[in-house]
Amino acid sequence: MTQSPENSGRETPVPSAATLEKELEKGWKDHRSGVRPSSVSSITDDDGEGRMVMNFGPQHPATHGTLRSIFTLEGESIVEADVEIGYLHTGFEKLGENMTYQQWVTVSDRMNYLSAINNNVGYSVAVEELLGIEVPPRCAALRVIMCELSRIADHVLCVGLQGMDLGAFSVMLWSFEKRELVYDIIEAVCGARLTTSWTRVGGIMRDVPEFFPDLVYSFLDEFPPIIEEIHGMLLNNKIFVDRVKNVGTVTTEQARSYGLTGPIGRSSGLDVDVRRDRPYLGYENYDFKVPLQTEGDSFSRYMQRMEEIEQSLEIIRQAMATLPKGEVVHDDFKTSLPKKDAVHKDMESLIHHFKLVMLGHGIRPETGKSLYSCTEAPCGELGFFIASDGSDTPYRLRVRPPSLYNYGLFPRLVEGGMISDAVAVLSSFHVIAGELDR
Amino acid sequence: MVVEMSAQHPAYDALPADLQSKIFEVFEHQGQVGMRCNAADQRTLLEHFRLSQNYDFLVDVTAIDHLGKDAPERFEVVYMLRALQSNHSFFRLHVWLDERLASLPSVFDLWDSARWGERETHDMFGIVFDGNPDLRRFLMPEDFPGFPLLKDYPLKGRDERRQFPKVVARGDRMVEEEPDPYPTSIGRQMHTPDYIEEVRRDSKPRE
Repeated sequence: MTQSPENSGRETPVPSAATLEKELEKGWKDHRSGVRPSSVSSITDDDGEGRMVMNFGPQHPATHGTLRSIFTLEGESIVEADVEIGYLHTGFEKLGENMTYQQWVTVSDRMNYLSAINNNVGYSVAVEELLGIEVPPRCAALRVIMCELSRIADHVLCVGLQGMDLGAFSVMLWSFEKRELVYDIIEAVCGARLTTSWTRVGGIMRDVPEFFPDLVYSFLDEFPPIIEEIHGMLLNNKIFVDRVKNVGTVTTEQARSYGLTGPIGRSSGLDVDVRRDRPYLGYENYDFKVPLQTEGDSFSRYMQRMEEIEQSLEIIRQAMATLPKGEVVHDDFKTSLPKKDAVHKDMESLIHHFKLVMLGHGIRPETGKSLYSCTEAPCGELGFFIASDGSDTPYRLRVRPPSLYNYGLFPRLVEGGMISDAVAVLSSFHVIAGELDR
Repeated sequence: MVVEMSAQHPAYDALPADLQSKIFEVFEHQGQVGMRCNAADQRTLLEHFRLSQNYDFLVDVTAIDHLGKDAPERFEVVYMLRALQSNHSFFRLHVWLDERLASLPSVFDLWDSARWGERETHDMFGIVFDGNPDLRRFLMPEDFPGFPLLKDYPLKGRDERRQFPKVVARGDRMVEEEPDPYPTSIGRQMHTPDYIEEVRRDSKPRE
């Protein structure tokens, strides 16, 4: 606090209960209509004395990570907001310049750790596009299924955390339970739950186990009721609805100019979805809708995520029904490792194996070529810009994380609101610090 | 300069003749088109793409450091533009930037996403975007002296801890010691053959 009651030198009369109630009501109405409460601004001098600078985070529970906001407050209203990021900066892009193309897959897990598979797939698709190779149809379909499962897990967790931050704690527990179903599938498919490293450039690490269809179909049966349950728990909760409705409204123009993508962009009317606009992995073969909201407030971001979950379930159903058989790794062994038993028996495969894992050999795209490739991650457009110098490591590997550009609007959005609104906005923005800072 | 054309893009075709002459290469890889221009024409071209051709979505801003490579200039700043209205048409604008200058006009007034895109490019490469209201350090600490994505910045770091101000005893007083000057290569005309050879030798991590 810049000013404490002892040395303020100002005698403040104690207001009566009736006055206080009237002021509160007026302030509440003003706040809803976007007017800064007059009773608050009156305690401030012209030179800003009476304002308080508050650090919100990096260890506040509502920041879900290492986000730090610096709020200048007048009473409980935020006059000025600034954010400081980089607490989780790990130099992923610099690492990318020093690791081979296959090695960096493991780093991509650590970006959005709630849906690591989407990062794996996004990175692999980018390198495959740079090389100009196409993965087998079974691999593409499996990637789509796992991406959509991961997206559901990410969205349902986000909705649960939104409930937890805004006075509906039980939603978090219920959504966590159902999220476990997805994590069971991920564990069965790749052995890890969080840091999956599931894809390879040109394919996936191995084919799915035999009981994979059973797991997915039982998930498809078990999951849909939770959507109704979450809606029931949150939409009938007056505290939750009052705290998110008309809070943190993003206009379509703001969304476009600040580069917002994903559920946040779509909930404010910006009609972008990489899966539809620039199909990859055969997304054009699946029949799905891109939900859109028009309000752009925190409530519509919640509704957007819930509608997207339904569309993801629809994509998984279609992909499971048409899941092709065959190989899961691209058959050009100049870029993807041959099978292990072939390596033991066959000289050609052994040579290919050595050529791929030896440093200085491996995957080498053409000299001087560069490409920007994007996929739709749960948070929005996840892009990779890769420039090659003909060696086995990228010359420049740029990640365009969706959270970075989404978060850019956050300080402008919370200014003029209250601290509790900042919590509502932040939880609906679902900013992942690992991806934001890289 | 000779115009090299290996690809076509509607954004290039729609340029008026005087602006077309400022783009000296249009190249393509896997169906994605990039254009090259010089730093002096960057603002004019981007203004045209935003205001006349309605490329309303700046996907990303980034840069490449070509230290030690056979490139016209050391830095290549990349703008990735998308037009949401006209079928999500996408291209990249690559801008050659002299390391002695290391500054470009900001485009934050055309796209708000450039505010943070340029801020990160500044943080990582030391390139200054004139006019950007907020070019503080972004991912690195605010007192960090180096620019980590420069090619001559080693992966293990440069022992920045010794750059932190030290308090030492001098006589009977404790005084804060000035840190050593930081060895950054930005703007020091280090794009010389000797230095490039040195970097090339040092930047071979595994042998």
